[in-house]
Amino acid sequence: MEKIQKTVGHSAPVHKPKKHHKPLTPARVTVSMCKWIGLTVLCVLFLFPIWWMVISSFKPQTVIYEQLDSFMTFLPSTWNVGEWFTSYVNLFNSFDYFGTAILNSIFYCAVTVAGVLLVNSIAGYALARLEFPGSNVLTTIIILLIIVPVETSIVPQYVILSHLGLLSSSTARVAGYLLPGIVSAFYIFMFRQYFMGMPKELEEAAEIDGAGKVRTYFVIIMPLAKAIFATVAIFTFMGAWNEYVFADLMFPQAQQKPLQAFLQLVNTYNPKDLSMVMAALTVSTIPIAIVYIFCQRYIVEGVSFSGLK
Amino acid sequence: MEHVYEKEEASAGAPAEVTFADTLPAAGGAVAAPGGGKPRRRRSRYYTLFGKTYKKDNTIVGLCFVLPALVLGCIFVIAPIVISLSYSFTDAYLLRLDEVHFVGFDQFVKAFNDGFLWNAFGNTMVFVVITVPVQLCVALGLALILNTKIKANTFFRWAFFVPVMLSLAVTSFLWGNLFEQDGLINAILIKLGIGEQPFLDDPGQAMGIIIFISIWQGAGYQMLIFLSGLKNIQPEIYEAASLDGANATQRFFYITIPNILPTFSFVLITMLIGAFRLITQPMIMTQGGPEDGTMTMSYYIYQQGITFRDVGYSSAIAMIYTIFMSVIALTLRKVMDVKD
Repeated sequence: MEKIQKTVGHSAPVHKPKKHHKPLTPARVTVSMCKWIGLTVLCVLFLFPIWWMVISSFKPQTVIYEQLDSFMTFLPSTWNVGEWFTSYVNLFNSFDYFGTAILNSIFYCAVTVAGVLLVNSIAGYALARLEFPGSNVLTTIIILLIIVPVETSIVPQYVILSHLGLLSSSTARVAGYLLPGIVSAFYIFMFRQYFMGMPKELEEAAEIDGAGKVRTYFVIIMPLAKAIFATVAIFTFMGAWNEYVFADLMFPQAQQKPLQAFLQLVNTYNPKDLSMVMAALTVSTIPIAIVYIFCQRYIVEGVSFSGLK
Repeated sequence: MEHVYEKEEASAGAPAEVTFADTLPAAGGAVAAPGGGKPRRRRSRYYTLFGKTYKKDNTIVGLCFVLPALVLGCIFVIAPIVISLSYSFTDAYLLRLDEVHFVGFDQFVKAFNDGFLWNAFGNTMVFVVITVPVQLCVALGLALILNTKIKANTFFRWAFFVPVMLSLAVTSFLWGNLFEQDGLINAILIKLGIGEQPFLDDPGQAMGIIIFISIWQGAGYQMLIFLSGLKNIQPEIYEAASLDGANATQRFFYITIPNILPTFSFVLITMLIGAFRLITQPMIMTQGGPEDGTMTMSYYIYQQGITFRDVGYSSAIAMIYTIFMSVIALTLRKVMDVKD
């Protein structure tokens, strides 16, 4: 009788100890050991290139090649931390526009994130709450654009940009690079879904208080939808920061290239300095790593949100 | 919300419509004469189009809100599709776009007889057919193993996720250097007694390397998606099954698999489309070579259109490829949805 009551009252604590009562047979120990060994081997495989990239950026190229066939290649050549950053300094000295490339990347990302958040969120809100003639048709088109994988991206976009005169000057090219990246069917859909899940009472209360639709959105809805804005901002930032192919096409001049496209110049520079290449790769990864470390909550949320779609 | 108004309008009819919402703003704004006023005269906040009633302010603000997205979307999403479709029947050349001739299905005929195109298609299919299942298995396997709350698992989760932080460009440059003739991997292989490999200089090995680095870079991301999918399965279901005498294998096949199927199908389809569009890695690491061994469809379309400026031909291939991908993606969606 008591046992039944316990089970009903605290089902979880009663069942959990069960697991520990399983006998430790040799078979189970072997399975467990294989699991840990396998995970560790995979872990090394996943991490060693990145470890090597960072460590190699801390030593001169000659030392990298000297140590390549010994385990020393995975350890810093000196413990004098001040010497580690020689290649980083060289990087900025050898490439006049490396610093500019960093600033370019920051600028392109900032504009893209701001544009994406504004344009797609208001469109998503309109489709979620502000019914107008054609809004259902628009929603259908957006869903179609998400479902159908259209392979037309770069070439016709380039044609359109040339028709619009956005390839004619270096300033125009910046606009030509940034504008196509702002509207996204997927983000509009994501915003729409999020706003549809918010309680309607908020807007009704705002309407009774006399707030117009525009004000209701910017003053009441937007601050309450921080989570979705953060998620979209992070994913957009990562996409914009990591973009390579389109940037490579749009910016032939070194001083306009964002960091990812600039890596090509560092990597193909003759004579090649491997240490400097690794330093450039590390520098271009740091911002993304920071975003991942500080915003992991939003990333996991965003991932599960898109996964549940 | 709209339906309520619709009903009210219908019952009140056109002449005297004084709905609750209609009278409200009067309290805040200009005070309408109570009782004796003529509400009929005030302009209605609703209007009807094709038998559907809309709120005027919703329409105005809604249209303004979608306008920026609509303009940008028409220029950079819809127009490229239309242009691609129309140029595929012409001989459009990138530097002579004002002088375009209609050539019927010539570009499509050319495409089907183009050996380089078939080669690119074959390479892409090899990439897709190996990368997608292997990456799915690695990601799902890792997620299943790491789906318990042990401290060490948190570390492993992070470790497998680290490559995701590298962009495709950084991944390609990094591995490109590692797989150099005198690079780290060859140094390790010589040390292990396996001997030096040509790697990216060998048509056979180059695609293998691109497949490997793509899985290496991407698996952690799908692992994260699967982990969040697994976390959503309620532990009570497992407990109930255990009480009913289901063993671990049965629990896996009858609870875990059906419950993460939606996540699985989402990951599969996104991954498949991503794999079909492989371009960055070969562009950086091999420029499609050696001997066109890593030329992919997306890269070929890009090369024809941008490098060789043959926009007409590039568009035709893009159209064929879009149809091909859509058929696969939509079929898969259909099949996966039926199972739910």
